[in-house]
Amino acid sequence: MSRIVIDPITRIEGHLRIDVEVDGGSVQKAWASSTMFRGIERILVGRDPREAWLFTQRFCGVCTTVHALASVRAVEDALSLEIPMNAQYIRNLILIAHALHDHIVHFYHLSALDWVDVTQVLSADPVKASQIAESLSDWPNNSAKEMAAVKNRVKGLVDSGQLGPFAHGYWGHPAMKLPPEVNLIAVAHYLQALEYQRYANQVVAILGGKTPHIQNVAVGGVANAINLASEATLNVDRLYQMKSLLDKVISFVQNVYVPDVCTVAGFYPDWFSYGSGVTNYLSVPDLPLDTKSTTYDLPGGFIRGGDLATYKPITGQKDEYWRKAVTEDSAHAWYNGSGALHPWKGETEPNPSEWDADGKYSWVKAPRFEGQVAQVGPLANVLVGYAAGNPLMKKWTDAALAKISSIAKVSATPAMLHSTLGRHGARAVRTAVLSELATKHWQLLTDNIVKGDSAIFNPPTFPKGEIEGVGFHEAPRGTLSHWVVIDDGKIKNYQAVVPTTWNASPRDSDGSPGPYEASLLHNPIADAKHPLEVLRTVHSFDPCMACAVHMFDPTGNNVARVKVL
Amino acid sequence: MTCAVYGIGNILLGDDGVGPAVVRFLESRGALPPDVILEDLGTPSLDLPTYLTGHDLVVFIDAVACDDAPGTLRNFSRAELIAASPGIRISPHEPSVSDALIVLDFAGGAPRDVVMVGVVPQTLDGGMNLSPDVARAVPFAADAVIAELAKRGVIWQ
Repeated sequence: MSRIVIDPITRIEGHLRIDVEVDGGSVQKAWASSTMFRGIERILVGRDPREAWLFTQRFCGVCTTVHALASVRAVEDALSLEIPMNAQYIRNLILIAHALHDHIVHFYHLSALDWVDVTQVLSADPVKASQIAESLSDWPNNSAKEMAAVKNRVKGLVDSGQLGPFAHGYWGHPAMKLPPEVNLIAVAHYLQALEYQRYANQVVAILGGKTPHIQNVAVGGVANAINLASEATLNVDRLYQMKSLLDKVISFVQNVYVPDVCTVAGFYPDWFSYGSGVTNYLSVPDLPLDTKSTTYDLPGGFIRGGDLATYKPITGQKDEYWRKAVTEDSAHAWYNGSGALHPWKGETEPNPSEWDADGKYSWVKAPRFEGQVAQVGPLANVLVGYAAGNPLMKKWTDAALAKISSIAKVSATPAMLHSTLGRHGARAVRTAVLSELATKHWQLLTDNIVKGDSAIFNPPTFPKGEIEGVGFHEAPRGTLSHWVVIDDGKIKNYQAVVPTTWNASPRDSDGSPGPYEASLLHNPIADAKHPLEVLRTVHSFDPCMACAVHMFDPTGNNVARVKVL
Repeated sequence: MTCAVYGIGNILLGDDGVGPAVVRFLESRGALPPDVILEDLGTPSLDLPTYLTGHDLVVFIDAVACDDAPGTLRNFSRAELIAASPGIRISPHEPSVSDALIVLDFAGGAPRDVVMVGVVPQTLDGGMNLSPDVARAVPFAADAVIAELAKRGVIWQ
């Protein structure tokens, strides 16, 4: 038996430590922990709730917009404040554009290298690669000339003796299975993805004023002045500039990202049988379609035990089912107290000790839904949408499964989505769904403005006494909720229950492991010194610990260290 | 020549916010030269290549993890930033800066000229204030940025 420690695992800021016990070539036990406390929420206590979003968007440098919008939604919920239709659509477009950007970056720039062997590109035939790519979609940038240019560029890198951005990959690992030509296609698209994610970011900048920290949000609406005839406001030019950027991103998602994920998945069918772990799934509704946020384009709900028939909807932020079900347990986390507390009653009193596999071992608390461990993220989002009968989710899920079936020569079913590759597939499906909704919400906003509505803001007023609110958002990494208690117009308590807290959760009072921990069980490990398989499963969740525990290690080595004990 | 001056760091984490603090100080100075972008980028990490592409010169201001006294200024060249990939600690955000440059050197669009004005922090504990030694260093770091620009012919009056 050997023990592998990977610390930290994510290349995004923030530190996640994974410990696994390996016996007989597979993982027998796993622990996910985060290694430093920040307690950022405490900065918000005593502040004006109208300004909270300015601080929360600094929780995480990668998910700025996500935390800005969850925060204003929480305060608006506490006030039961409606916001104008334009404000909903503008926020929705920001959320969609951010998610398109984020999902593309996750696949190509964070996790594709778990599956793609860059060194194999040197033996690829560019003509054959082009033929394969052109058989998968109508994307115009798949020519043999393009593939040959990319191959030359990789050759230049290898000849220089440095692998540049690919230096940290597990090249030549026995678990790498793609043919050379597919590796070449993936690297070509890695380069193109850099360009296309930038277009999505530009949409956020047009609406948000700037990125990464948007300026246009307010409790009660948005600050985007609308006047079709004015140069300084949201006008026809800017609307069409956005449309043209969105169209480029949409085409990339549907013609490149989705086919690439299906192709990679088709060559690794084994990975549909690893990594399921926790099969309770939580997702919240998003993309509100009315001023009171009672109807949504994307459904939310809870699924138990991987059985879609158990789907129970969450209808909105006011749904008592949702409001009462969330708790955080600190039995195995370095905080005072051990019981499960509702976020409005949440405490953040640190009490650190040694890392102890049987005791406390993480700065992440264990969030639970109706007392149950739950997986969040695109897979939860897609399964909940599928169970709810959402037509777009069904359309893109079925299309992806059909494509994987034809490549892998197996019959891919929705049940296979409970897996490491299922999370990648579901992320691609969700991105495709959002790409269609981008066009829809752009049209909704444009039509609403053209019809003469220029309202953007309803001013908030704060009552005497105590009020509570929750703002949720189905973020790229899953269900995000901000819980605020306001007393006489000042913040009394603030808790952010972020997606990675759900997924990187430690064990709870009952000893039930969190989604990362459970998903690693029985993953094969070909080479304990190079635990590529662990990275595959953990990366499939798209971990981002920065906001999960609010931590930052100034002395830490920022590249994953692997120790075999 | 287009150039960008970027403060990097988290304003909620004590002295990690020194980069953004220097940007605010420079903003208050006004008279930004044309073709210079001045921005607090927070902690953009993997998104950093987006903000670097197409500039000739990028000046970063960031907290750096060195053993020197808090508030000490230390500049790093492009070559030093790239060489400091795994293992060597230059900045808490070092992987983002060096990774972004390495990615763009491969993909194209990387700025040719890059310099980092580093400030040694005292504490990165949660909080929105700089510690006294680091706060005192802010105007000196701003002067260092202006000096780096001047060396390249960009004069900030």
